[in-house]
Amino acid sequence: MTLDVAPPSQMGSTGDTLPPGGVVHRRPWWMGQHMGTGLLLGIGGYALGHYLGNTIAGGYTHVGTAGENDVAIVLALLLGVVGWLAGVGALNYPLAKLAGREPVAQPDTQHWTRFFRFSVEHKTVGMQYLIAVLVFLFTGGLLAMSIRTELLSPTSHIIGPGTYISIVGEHGTVMMMMASSLVVGPLGNWLIPIMIGSRRMAFPRVEAFSFWLFSAGYFVILTALPLGGFPTGWTGYAPLQTQATVGMDSYLVGFSVIGLGMILAGFNLLVTIINYRAPGMTWSRIPVFAWSILATSALLALATPTLAVACMFGILDRTVGTAFYVNAHGGSSYLWENLFWFFGHPEVYIMALPGFGIVGEMLPVFTRKPLFAYRVAAAGMIGVALLSFFVWQHHLFQSGINPDMRPLFMLTTELISIPTGFIFLVGLGTLYKAKIRFEVPMLFALAMYFNFLIGGVTGVFVSDVPVDVTVHGSFFVLAHFHYTIMGGLVFAFFGGVYYWMPKLTGKMMNKTLGKVHFWMMFVFFNLTFFPMFLIGLLGQPRRVFEYAQGLQTLNDFSSVSAFCLGASFLVFVVNFVWSIFIAPQEAPLNPWGSLGLEWQTATPVPQHNFERIPVVLTDPYHYSEPGASPVADLAPTSFAEFAAVGAGGGGPIARGEP
Amino acid sequence: MSQVRVPADSGYVATPEELAYEARAAENALFTASRLMIGCFAFAFAALAFAYFYLRSANSYDLWRPHSVTAPVGTGTAVMAFTAAATVLLLFGLRQLRRKDVLAFDVAGWVAVLSGLLALGLQCWELTDLPFAPATGGYTSVFIGWAVMNIIMLVSGIYWAETLLARRARLRKAITEEGGAVRGVPSGIFRLNVDSCVYFWGFIAFVAVFFWIFFYIAG
Repeated sequence: MTLDVAPPSQMGSTGDTLPPGGVVHRRPWWMGQHMGTGLLLGIGGYALGHYLGNTIAGGYTHVGTAGENDVAIVLALLLGVVGWLAGVGALNYPLAKLAGREPVAQPDTQHWTRFFRFSVEHKTVGMQYLIAVLVFLFTGGLLAMSIRTELLSPTSHIIGPGTYISIVGEHGTVMMMMASSLVVGPLGNWLIPIMIGSRRMAFPRVEAFSFWLFSAGYFVILTALPLGGFPTGWTGYAPLQTQATVGMDSYLVGFSVIGLGMILAGFNLLVTIINYRAPGMTWSRIPVFAWSILATSALLALATPTLAVACMFGILDRTVGTAFYVNAHGGSSYLWENLFWFFGHPEVYIMALPGFGIVGEMLPVFTRKPLFAYRVAAAGMIGVALLSFFVWQHHLFQSGINPDMRPLFMLTTELISIPTGFIFLVGLGTLYKAKIRFEVPMLFALAMYFNFLIGGVTGVFVSDVPVDVTVHGSFFVLAHFHYTIMGGLVFAFFGGVYYWMPKLTGKMMNKTLGKVHFWMMFVFFNLTFFPMFLIGLLGQPRRVFEYAQGLQTLNDFSSVSAFCLGASFLVFVVNFVWSIFIAPQEAPLNPWGSLGLEWQTATPVPQHNFERIPVVLTDPYHYSEPGASPVADLAPTSFAEFAAVGAGGGGPIARGEP
Repeated sequence: MSQVRVPADSGYVATPEELAYEARAAENALFTASRLMIGCFAFAFAALAFAYFYLRSANSYDLWRPHSVTAPVGTGTAVMAFTAAATVLLLFGLRQLRRKDVLAFDVAGWVAVLSGLLALGLQCWELTDLPFAPATGGYTSVFIGWAVMNIIMLVSGIYWAETLLARRARLRKAITEEGGAVRGVPSGIFRLNVDSCVYFWGFIAFVAVFFWIFFYIAG
């Protein structure tokens, strides 16, 4: 007999089971655990942590002298996060598991309140992520507007220098946190299981947990502003980090919390792609978007622990008085720089690769051509992911590192442009001699290539030591990374939203408003950030709220363009609300004529994604090929012959290895 | 093609072939996840090791290890020994489980959890009884970082082992109450879960011994 606690009958479920034939007692929505109870317990946890911190450390001499208690703030933030997680119900099962209990049944519901609860259904989590990343994006965008407002004049000021640097830091941190999860969170969680022919995520609770950590991180990082902000920008450099007031604690705790969420999200997606591919979904057939998420997830799971540890060292320095980053006590501020950038540079590719995955999906659809050199694209993504671990020292060229080390890291940085170029050429090869359909998603895809070309070429430019030394810390670098991250990732993300929205919601986004959104965003993005290359070359440093009088015209031009860029996002919001809620237009089952597996299922997608586990017959890029076989058999009578090449049949256990 | 409907009222229908396929996928996922989890922790501890060697070689203001301060060797050795013992016990339990000696697995498992808890308790206690202030130098800072990370890792390992044993205990009770066999033989996925847990504990023990050498012996 068996004592197995996970009977196979549950394998296809979302992880929760209903008692066979039993009755699930449902409480009214306002009595259950949801975001409201999360907020309540989060505030309670914050207050409790603050009280405990003051009790523990209130008598310390330095607390009395400085009038600030880092222990109280850190404990408040940490217990606030724990309270939030307990309030939404994320800790129920982990605690019940200690007593050997099974998951409590979670009724399948399509009620809108599910979006405010701890749901383990991957499509619900994907939508939760979508709204959350947009909230992050618009918060960061509003902060950007205030930065550009202050820079309208070189000498007349709206905000003081301390507030300015706090807003700059908050903008950068919020945007970086957002960008790390911008694609992986919403589109990765929603689409990946369906794209690989799976009925579920590998670890649904881990997936849900990662989202609620992500949302907790938003509140934590927002507390920095009322706590006085942090003067370091998003990079959190020591020794400023050690000297800063308690707003710095929000940065360190916030990044740790979000970092943990990123690790879990990447971990879950990686395991899912490796193990839950449908029969016949071989490595040479998985969609290029799945390849990009695979590479990104590996980076998330392996690089982010370094950030979490670096932040923990910073918290220890500020609370228990260690000296990791304090030179005068045997530490080193360079230690932070190394640990931070060991995470920070892979982070750049965490943000770039999913964008390439999205446009890689869209180009064949709107050109009606097979994806050019599919295997090269996949190899390029893996190559970028691997090389990204070997370039971090180029961020320290100006920080007094051993000059002999500079050529090595200049070389590795330039090397990474080769696999990146592969991915770029795959796109250009697909576009070559194509009859392009200029639908809204395709416009964003093409803009992404245009913007990333500028961002990428300037990236190779600044990887050279002489150039880096010259433009370091200037608006030139700022323009470069905005072209790669916003011009690349954010454009691809919006393209993806327009492209997959009919599948996500069953509604079409308004095409006219979509085109207005695109052209405003594309034109004003370039008008905002291209002048910054010039401003940087003319010597204006980042993070400084005053500048030379002669640069006002360029700055004003950039600021006014930035306001228009901000307005373009309002067009998106109007389009979203109009198309989904006010005047919804039912979407055809496959509006773009895609061969992707996700478009072969019903809309709305059934809870378990597929009626039968599909058998995948080929990759989804055989456009305009007469006689090409269908992508998958959605109603197979048996898949025994394909089982060996899918995940369930091809993994290490099935081969009898352990 | 025969079909079974599970769970009864969810509307979800799966064929036996699909059930078997997804069961294999779940096993493979567990295998991959446990190895990946070790990878995540390995990168975290690599950051700690980097901090150790970086600050040691930088020796800022000659303050890497002023007056040759050392964390309490006896306590540190006991932490390492209890951690290693927990790993060995779990390994022994796994072997017994493979031989279908479930009682031996249960006993070895619970003793291993106890051993892990002792290591955890001692590691916490050591932090309250250090012969140096945290800011004394680089060594002292990194040591406190190590202690905190070791606590996190031990808690993770103990949680995993405890939940496996608690699950087995609850199911044995349930089966007994329903008139089934008193002592059942856990199925493949449970054994795989135990195997993965033991693998993770092997990593914990490796890290414990590695840093024990550098903090207590070769500091």
